[in-house]
Amino acid sequence: MNAPLLAAHGLTNWFGKVCTALDLDVAFHEGVLTSVIGPNGAGKSTLINLLTGHLPVQAGRVEFRGKDVTRLPVHARVRLGICRSFQIVNVFPQLTALENVLIPALAAAGRTRRFFSPVSRETAARAEAEAALERVGLSDHGGKLASALSHGDKHLLEVGVALAARPALLFLDEPTAGMNPLERARLLESIRSLSREGRTTFVLVEHDMDVVFSLSDRVVVLHRGEVLCDGAPDHVRADAKVREVYLGQELEAAPRQGALP
Amino acid sequence: MWKSLARALPFLLLAALALLPLAGERFVTYLATRMMLLAIFAVGYDLLLGQTGLLSFGHGAFYAAGAYALGFFSLHVSQHPLLGVLVAVAAAALLGLAVGALCVRSSEVYFSMLTLAFGMMVYALVWNASDVTGGDDGLVGIMRAPLSLPGLSLPIARDAQFYYLVLLFFAAAVLAAWRIRRSPFGLVLTGMRENATRVAFAGVPVRRYRLAVFTMSAAFAGLSGGLETLLESSARPSMAHWTHSAEPMLVSLLGGLGTLSGPIVGSFLFIALREIVQRFTEHWMLGVGIILLLIIGAFRGGVVGTLHQLVERRRARETAP
Amino acid sequence: MQSIVHVLLAGLSSGMFIWLVASGLTLIFGVLGILNFAHGSFYMLGAYVCYTVVKVFAPHFYLGVLLGPLAVAAIGLVVERRFLRGVYHLALPYQLLLTFAFVLIFDNLVKIVWGAGSLTPPVPEALRGSVSIVGRKFPVYSLFIIAIGPLVALGLWALLERTWLGRTVRAAASDREMAAALGAPVPALYTGVFAFGAWLAALGGALAVPYVGLLAPGMGESIVIDAFIVAVIGGLGSLKGAFVGALVIGVISAFGTRFFPTFDMALTFLLMAAVLLVRPRGLFGAAA
Repeated sequence: MNAPLLAAHGLTNWFGKVCTALDLDVAFHEGVLTSVIGPNGAGKSTLINLLTGHLPVQAGRVEFRGKDVTRLPVHARVRLGICRSFQIVNVFPQLTALENVLIPALAAAGRTRRFFSPVSRETAARAEAEAALERVGLSDHGGKLASALSHGDKHLLEVGVALAARPALLFLDEPTAGMNPLERARLLESIRSLSREGRTTFVLVEHDMDVVFSLSDRVVVLHRGEVLCDGAPDHVRADAKVREVYLGQELEAAPRQGALP
Repeated sequence: MWKSLARALPFLLLAALALLPLAGERFVTYLATRMMLLAIFAVGYDLLLGQTGLLSFGHGAFYAAGAYALGFFSLHVSQHPLLGVLVAVAAAALLGLAVGALCVRSSEVYFSMLTLAFGMMVYALVWNASDVTGGDDGLVGIMRAPLSLPGLSLPIARDAQFYYLVLLFFAAAVLAAWRIRRSPFGLVLTGMRENATRVAFAGVPVRRYRLAVFTMSAAFAGLSGGLETLLESSARPSMAHWTHSAEPMLVSLLGGLGTLSGPIVGSFLFIALREIVQRFTEHWMLGVGIILLLIIGAFRGGVVGTLHQLVERRRARETAP
Repeated sequence: MQSIVHVLLAGLSSGMFIWLVASGLTLIFGVLGILNFAHGSFYMLGAYVCYTVVKVFAPHFYLGVLLGPLAVAAIGLVVERRFLRGVYHLALPYQLLLTFAFVLIFDNLVKIVWGAGSLTPPVPEALRGSVSIVGRKFPVYSLFIIAIGPLVALGLWALLERTWLGRTVRAAASDREMAAALGAPVPALYTGVFAFGAWLAALGGALAVPYVGLLAPGMGESIVIDAFIVAVIGGLGSLKGAFVGALVIGVISAFGTRFFPTFDMALTFLLMAAVLLVRPRGLFGAAA
């Protein structure tokens, strides 16, 4: 088994008296599309926040490609290749869609320090930005202000901004929320093909079980800040503890006779 | 038609400015000089406020740093105006770097309060150290020595002559601001105004970039301050007071925050209005207050923004079926 | 020793005026989220109206203290309802510039109505006395002021912690939408809090009339800067912090003026910078 891309050991986080992460041990491997699931309050977003540096780690260790990144600030982790999208749309409202994705593209290309030459000259970054828009299906909307986009398009842009930096490891926090079935299918297809390309490893936080089980190579189940189960989708689906936590409802294809409500 | 007019406008303006002293009105020349000085200050200030979204009450300190640096340099080292300006810009930028390093660690309100604190500390320092700085009277007697370049010596003692030097720096400052705004760095700054967290998540060290634009805007302030010292032959502590920092804020809002032409238009308008209104009443600031209310209430884009909207609306009407 | 005690007392009494202004400022920031630059103007207006009431209408100081702040509260009400309401959703610079516009407007209105020069108010008979403290005379009025400060603090605490109104205000402060969803009349609350904050500042101004001995249009600006520093040091939004901060600043300023006159102007700013650099949200503010 090759070395993990990102590994977390003993991650613990307390919000006052509430424990949102308890001694978490989890690892993500290159090329393995992982979904993180769990009931509300299980600590999924907290996990992403801790791994990406948005939340300072109170106890534990995070390693990326073997290097300790626990104390590294957000932007440094992004430069290493750890990126994320947000559950609530977190874009640049007064910039156009293209400008939105251009910022991470420029940063990834190391061009943001240029303060005397015009942006229009940055053809390489611009191409990357346009490719990101293409991947989420927003190519026609590049010139529109982000605040003027429809609700679903805003969510697509949210994922697009995260993709534009071409990270090695990308955490997507409920990416399909707020999308209609067409947009969702389009996005999932993009994720699948990008995952196969191999340059970006995806980790999805999801509630939609269809998405989880159709797309994932691996599923991690969180419950009350702890890892409940971790493995191949079928293995997780069959696990007794997981079924208990979800009351057997969402994981079943069809309802059993006499099942508990 | 509008587009080509808009593109020609800066050159028209420059041409008008270049021809202005030839009309012979000394007072108008003086006013135009002051307008350009304020515009330099405001254009740099708007990089910080309009573009990056950071509100500073301490920029008067950098203005004063430039002014006093040039003053000291002129009185004790060399009267060469270009060297003096260089010293002014460098001093202001250095102070901006030092103060900025401490301030950018905080955000929003606390950032603004810290800039207020440091700005007023500089004011107090300059005011109190009267042996060195002349206290409330400031530095006086700074001469406008001729510009000595290899081969020629350009006099700037007369107001009309000095005007052209200021015009040169004004054009340079506007050009610099224009290029910064259009650059990748400028785009990132706008991103920081809109959503600093996301910019960090795009891989940009936000604090460092804030410090960079803070220092840049301080340099603009220092340039303006140094040039004012040459214009008025003096440097005064009031330059560092927070009420002086409010001027570029006001004129940028008046002209249009976050645009290049806004601070310029605002500066010209502000000084012109002040001259006119002060002839009739001493309560000019009351008028400023009312104008501010109007702008924030109804014309948030300032003069430039509102004009933009009118043009857009006219264009939409023309292209509508 | 004698000087130290007197300077301390003088610092405490001047600190109480700062507290009165800072309390309203803190309330307004805590609930409305607005930094009200015009708060010093409310202080100034309170003083001027009180002076006018006493001089023109009825030579009773307490009437001035009663009516002045009420008049200013009414002004505050109008300002919030007609002007401030439109800017809550805008970015910080617009809000600050709006309140700054009112500073310019009020300052100049005062100059127009009362003249740009300074006015000398008559000190009421009852408050002219002085007591002997550690062997030197100290004005009774200052002692009175030192007593008023904690009384106001206590009153505010009781209002916020023990009354239904106070609880509703605190709810609106912490989560505006939730409070509105639960039926709290948030816009009216905002107006009320702003007017009350203005009242507090004006009370400070009215009470300051016999203390400062001189009214001038610039009196608002100097105290509002101190009030801002106090509010920030104490932690924006924390009344406890503002009270403590006001006492600290008042006392330190008094000692500074008396013993280190060259530094005293920068002292308060230095203190604020120092506090913010060590505790980015002030002494009692929410954790950064």
